[in-house]
Amino acid sequence: MRLNLIEYRQIHKAFDKPVLTGVDLEVRPGEMFAIFGPSGVGKSVLLKTTIGLVRPDRGEVFFEGEPIYRSGARAMAAVRKEVGYVFQHAALFDSMNVFDNVCMGIPENELGGLSRIEQGRRVWRALDLVNLDPREVLSATPAELSGGMKKRVGIARAIIGTPRVLLWDEPTTGLDPINTAAVERLITDLSNRIEVTSVVVTHDIFGGLEICDRVAILYDGVTRYIGEPAGFWSSEDPVIRAFLDRAAAGAAADMEVT
Amino acid sequence: MTRSTARKFVVAAEHAGGLGELTWHIVRAVARGRFALSAVVRQMHVMGFQSVSIVLITGALAGVVTSQQGGYQMTSVVPDYVLGSLVVETMVLEMGPVLTGLVLVGRIGARITAEIGTMVVSEQIDAFEAMGRDPLAILGTPRVLAGILVMPLLVGIATVSGCATGYLGANLDSGLGLDRFLYGARVFWNSWDIAFSLIKSVSFGLFIPLIAVHMGFRTSGGAEGVGRTTTQAVMFMTVTVLVLDALAAPLLLD
Repeated sequence: MRLNLIEYRQIHKAFDKPVLTGVDLEVRPGEMFAIFGPSGVGKSVLLKTTIGLVRPDRGEVFFEGEPIYRSGARAMAAVRKEVGYVFQHAALFDSMNVFDNVCMGIPENELGGLSRIEQGRRVWRALDLVNLDPREVLSATPAELSGGMKKRVGIARAIIGTPRVLLWDEPTTGLDPINTAAVERLITDLSNRIEVTSVVVTHDIFGGLEICDRVAILYDGVTRYIGEPAGFWSSEDPVIRAFLDRAAAGAAADMEVT
Repeated sequence: MTRSTARKFVVAAEHAGGLGELTWHIVRAVARGRFALSAVVRQMHVMGFQSVSIVLITGALAGVVTSQQGGYQMTSVVPDYVLGSLVVETMVLEMGPVLTGLVLVGRIGARITAEIGTMVVSEQIDAFEAMGRDPLAILGTPRVLAGILVMPLLVGIATVSGCATGYLGANLDSGLGLDRFLYGARVFWNSWDIAFSLIKSVSFGLFIPLIAVHMGFRTSGGAEGVGRTTTQAVMFMTVTVLVLDALAAPLLLD
């Protein structure tokens, strides 16, 4: 039996009101896993509990069987080295150019031992992997980049540290259909080329169903479905049917606009 | 009433805890040498060099006002050279440090809070943490070190410019010569006054960026939250400068 790479056990989190009320979920090594759900249901919150950006009120996250909250700061630091996080709006550092932004993704203990040329080589390769021309963007600041380019720089920053897991927080939000398709291709390509486990939180239900091995839907603070895309498509659950219908209507409206 | 008071105590405790935690992160980063010297230099440029003109103007105007009001109130009852002492002592002990502190609250403190607050709401701070970096140390250390280093220099500039314009004002207004102005300044001069001014300016240079960074990290709620926190930070820093100023005299002057 394969050990789960990440396990969420009874995750509870409330802000002004309860958001997550006992989420259980497992992510297997090497798979691409999508998490769907309506806005405000806590998808990003759940993703952020994986590396301690949001601390659950109750429950535990296990990374390769090790509880990351109970094990303290060292365990969290170790997990963060293994995980790359792609933020919804890229979260690039405004005061740094692209080179320095991407370089920040190299773990601190490694970075000190690298010469500037070696750093440049790794930044170059990471930008190349996300289909950006390093010569064009290296010295640009985030303000000088388009939305799609910022997203790619954010992805380059997440992969430069050669993580084993990539967490994607709404990677296609705010992108036009062409860039959405390009980023979806990129997610699949990267997962294959750098052999990384991916957890994708997304509104783009059809894109997620197409590229992911397994999917889950969060509803009312808990997981409503966990399984393969085929089972999701054929589900008779009224919540899933309604979710699919709404997504289809949204996609049709997008098609009309474009 | 009781609940409101309790809430205020909780908020005060949160601020104390946050400032303590931030100080700890900065001390640890300095002790381990884990801060970028280039970032300190960049902050010194922003806080120091770019503030010189406003500090010069503020100091100069304070010197003129002190000299003119002193002349108006005193020269008919005390020797005119006392004006030299009044201007120099007022600038060194009070006006130089406090006015420079208040100018930096508005020019630097507000900027730091807004900058870090924007980083919080745009998930840049989360990005630091996701990459295993310590944002408190990375953002706090260069700003606090730069504040401690540049504040005494800026206070010196404000003080010198205030003394110079104070003399010019006295000369133009009351016909006081340079020799008598300097004589007056020397008569009541105490070398400890410089140390007093230095201690005040270093404490302002420490607390203004420290509070600004702390408040920036407490930001939440988008652009409106950044505006709200920046306003709170300016009030917090202003009161801190005035309280430190009020404490300095009884603690450091006999």
